[in-house]
Amino acid sequence: MTDSVPLRHARTVVEEPSPATGSAILRRTVRRHRTRLIVSSLLFGVHQLCETMVPVAIGLIVSRAIDTGDVTAMIVSLVGLAALFVTLSYAWRIGARIIVVAIEREAHLVRVEVAGRVLDPRGVRTELSAGELLTVSTSDAEKESWILDLIARVFASAVAVVASAVALLIIDVPLGLAVVIGTPVILVALQRLAPLLTRAATAQQARIAGVSGMATDLVSGVRPLRGIGAENAATERFVTSSRTALAATLKLARANNVYQGLSATVNALLAVGIAGTAGWFALQGRISVGELITVIGLAQFVIEPLTGLARIPGVVAMVRGSADRLALVLGAEHVLPQSESAVPAGTDLGVDNVRFRSLDGLTFRAEPGEMLGVVAYRPQDGEALAALLSGQISDADYTGSVRVGGIPAGEIDLRRARETVLVEPHLTDLFAGTVRSNVTAGRERPDAELDRVLQASAATDVVELHEAGLDHAVTDRGASLSGGQRQRVALARALSVDAPVLVLHDPTTAVDAVTEHAIARGIAELRHTERSSQTTILITTSPALLSVTHRVLVVDDGRVVAEGTHHDLASSDAQYKDAVLR
Amino acid sequence: MTTPELLPIATGARSGRWLLEQLKLRRVRTAVTLLLGALAAAMSLVPVYVFGVLVDRVRDGADSSTIIGVVVVISVAAVIGGIVTGFSGYLISTLGEGILASLREAVVRRALHLPVATLERVGKGDLLSRVGDDVAVMAKSIGEVIPQLVGAFLLVCLSMITMLGIDWRLGLAGLVALPMYVLALRWYLPRSAPKYAAERVAMGERAQSFVSSMQGAKTVRAYGLESAHLKEIDRASAKARDIGVDVFRLFTRFGSRSNRAECVGLSVILLAGFLLVRGDYVTVGETTAAALLFHRLFNPIGTLLFTFDDIQSAGASLARLVGVIDIPDERPVGDGSVPSDATLDVTDLRHEYESGHEVLHGVNLRVGAGETVALVGSTGAGKSTIAAIAAGSMASTSGTVRVGGASLDALGSEGLRRHVAIVSQEVHVFAGRLIDDVLLAAPDAGRENVEAALRTVGAWSWVEALQNGLDTAVGEGGRQLTAAQSQQLALARLVLADPAVAVLDEATAEAGSSGARDLEAAAEAATRGRSTLIVAHRLTQAAAADRVVVLEHGRILEQGPHEELVAAGGRYAQLWEAWQGR
Repeated sequence: MTDSVPLRHARTVVEEPSPATGSAILRRTVRRHRTRLIVSSLLFGVHQLCETMVPVAIGLIVSRAIDTGDVTAMIVSLVGLAALFVTLSYAWRIGARIIVVAIEREAHLVRVEVAGRVLDPRGVRTELSAGELLTVSTSDAEKESWILDLIARVFASAVAVVASAVALLIIDVPLGLAVVIGTPVILVALQRLAPLLTRAATAQQARIAGVSGMATDLVSGVRPLRGIGAENAATERFVTSSRTALAATLKLARANNVYQGLSATVNALLAVGIAGTAGWFALQGRISVGELITVIGLAQFVIEPLTGLARIPGVVAMVRGSADRLALVLGAEHVLPQSESAVPAGTDLGVDNVRFRSLDGLTFRAEPGEMLGVVAYRPQDGEALAALLSGQISDADYTGSVRVGGIPAGEIDLRRARETVLVEPHLTDLFAGTVRSNVTAGRERPDAELDRVLQASAATDVVELHEAGLDHAVTDRGASLSGGQRQRVALARALSVDAPVLVLHDPTTAVDAVTEHAIARGIAELRHTERSSQTTILITTSPALLSVTHRVLVVDDGRVVAEGTHHDLASSDAQYKDAVLR
Repeated sequence: MTTPELLPIATGARSGRWLLEQLKLRRVRTAVTLLLGALAAAMSLVPVYVFGVLVDRVRDGADSSTIIGVVVVISVAAVIGGIVTGFSGYLISTLGEGILASLREAVVRRALHLPVATLERVGKGDLLSRVGDDVAVMAKSIGEVIPQLVGAFLLVCLSMITMLGIDWRLGLAGLVALPMYVLALRWYLPRSAPKYAAERVAMGERAQSFVSSMQGAKTVRAYGLESAHLKEIDRASAKARDIGVDVFRLFTRFGSRSNRAECVGLSVILLAGFLLVRGDYVTVGETTAAALLFHRLFNPIGTLLFTFDDIQSAGASLARLVGVIDIPDERPVGDGSVPSDATLDVTDLRHEYESGHEVLHGVNLRVGAGETVALVGSTGAGKSTIAAIAAGSMASTSGTVRVGGASLDALGSEGLRRHVAIVSQEVHVFAGRLIDDVLLAAPDAGRENVEAALRTVGAWSWVEALQNGLDTAVGEGGRQLTAAQSQQLALARLVLADPAVAVLDEATAEAGSSGARDLEAAAEAATRGRSTLIVAHRLTQAAAADRVVVLEHGRILEQGPHEELVAAGGRYAQLWEAWQGR
């Protein structure tokens, strides 16, 4: 343990509030679009009210116009009906537009938020694969925002039910009461089935995301698969997983349809009760034929909003499932704590007694202006060192200290830390764009300067081979380039950033020996002129690269076991010679 | 940013045929589903018809006890209807979800069997969006839209028949609305189709930008590119959002047209009833029943029209999925030829990636049975191209490759991989248990075979040390392996696949030079007894090979055993000197 531990505790951690649970996400969604939600709910309410009035209008027209044969009444009826439809139509049209804008905006916001979380400079601890993250950011972000539509519709359905009840109460009090009492009873009964569905829906969504994740994973590894003729075995495996998901889906469908069948029966029986009573009253002469038709129409009509309300648990379960999955990402912890504001003054790097993964008490210093070689006999030591210096590992995950310019790494402003120390890992990621966009990594650089780094990394052929030169298109992950080209373009990118401390991990493994020599000279000339204080650390066993370093550290069993110039070590240390002079 | 080429999209007719074929495969289930659906629809019409009769009875002053028969009939209809609704809903689910599973399986199967060159050209984003977004759209429409649609369609048909049955003139009045609905659709569909297509493309771009950033998140952070990538995701997502809102605005105008048709249809029925009742052709009860039947159709017709939207977007997704399924399998089927021995012969190989730019100029190469031949040359000499063509991963412009006297075409793609396998520079650890990863090469192999293969490549010691040994979850979402470990798994897969001819393209490069030595030993053990073509960047691999072939600018410059070439003092001798770090 070193002094970095108490320092970490002393740090005040300020986290921006980010919803960590599914319900918190849903609450925020509603808050964020409050006004649109209210306006569109009201308009949907008006729409439903008008819909409710349609059967009332039919009853009125039949009894006042058709039964009487009154031409004037018929004309008035038709005009009134038209007015009703115009109101109904526009209320829906405007209300729906408003709510859809809110839904689309919310889904977009959440989607970008998920991306922001995953791409946060501090990193994020999530166990979801890239494919699963894609599912979360597309379908779950969309489904979560349907909560807005759901609320507006529930409100409108409730309005329809209430309006129907009022109309029925005006016609006959016992009839009205039947609806007012019967409706909530049915809803409560159906609600009791909801928890069963919630559980099933969450499990199903997870399984389907698993299938999608597997498809992505297999497609990503299609080249190695094809190389050994494993495409059939992989397909078989996917089919098995797809069948499991199918079984899960059908299990859910069974539960859902039992529910649907039950709610349809119960709702229909409610309507039977209302219409039967109304018919009996009509036969007794207690209500008129027109009133009977209105009651029948309303009893028929009210099934729709009632069924809509009965479907709520299923939709809620789905929306909740998606919101919960979003919470897995949005609520996930950052790898690194809130960044501090310290700014490193120098370009020296000190690693003191670090235990991290395979590293076991690693201690060394890199001086300003030094070109330091690190030869790791065990590959995992090299990987661990590159990861340690990357600035993407929390100082809680290792013991000992890493200092840049004398300041503990954890205390340095995150952005500044990565600008100061750049680690280009062995496995490089290139992005869709052009050679230029990859090499400049978002920074404006004059062509002359780019030429220099391309020369230094021997990547000029990538540019010269194609007519478009620097603007030659690069597909995602650099798939359109050969392994050697990818490696050299990534090296050019690392050099173009001009970082005060640059760590390169095996940058020339896919490059031939002659080119490797040219690159070694190129890096030295670019970064280590007389006046330069830039520091370069090369984690490699390439003799070409090591021969241009000032000093070489030999790492074995997680710590430094020897130190010296490449020349001295190569001529005195048999094991070293064996490791690097091949 | 360049727009990558897209995978093919099937025509509407072809997608329809595909769907029909699927239904034919499930003939009995489809028929039963339709039958039960029709029964459910019929049950829901019973009350409306009975109400019409009731209205006339009331006007005739019938006895109160009439209501008993009415209530009994509609109650029975309600119960039967509910039960049948549940059953038919479940049947529709099994039918639809079964087809969906077949669809996603077929797409993944085809994607994994696509020519590698095609995959590289289109980038993974398009494929990912098809496997992700499009399958999700299909899942939604099959899970929610299709069941509603089938129910609505049956209800509309049966209602129309019932209306014509009550009175043919009232029935015809009801049919007046139909052309208006059709016109609304004909107004809407041509306008919305291109917008939906644009929406799909935007969703594909969104997926591409998202996945690319997720996979390269570490590099994004190292270069401080978070905001640039987030901006790109934001841009792509906002574009999809704006198109989504735009499409919906159009949809609401369509909704208004449908309201207009409802209004006109209802008015015409009421007006016809008014005139027919005055002329004593029909009763008030019959007019009422017709009006209520039509009013009852508002929702099902709305469902039909509005889900046309979903159907259209599902159709677009289906077309994109069937497009993938239908990509012709251009892999040679072979003529049953069997190699007579394990020699690899490459004759007069010429290749150009872009026409007019030949990169291989007539290469002749022979790898004897059990011989190891190393390809050496500077970047761009054509080593990887020869390896890919020799392993059958890529078709050459001209020239032939023979294994044991049989050309690769004659062996066929399935036969080819029994004899020739390639381990390329792209490493991928498949998500799942480690044992399953290795077993991809030979699904029927036993646990002990996997262990033996891992021992051969020197991976057993670390695999054994893992907490769950062979059952440890690796790859995305599991334990992250080092580059060297990942490469060892690739070599273990090769051992298990057990081909007579092995092609290794920079297979040891990914480990970095410190692990390369171990990997070289692993590669040597993995290829022992096989005819092996190695693309060598490390000249130790060349030195260990039986023969070295030096390439330059797509031609063989010199070849022979290592010692001979070194002694000859040619290009290879130069390379060797450089490699030794002198």
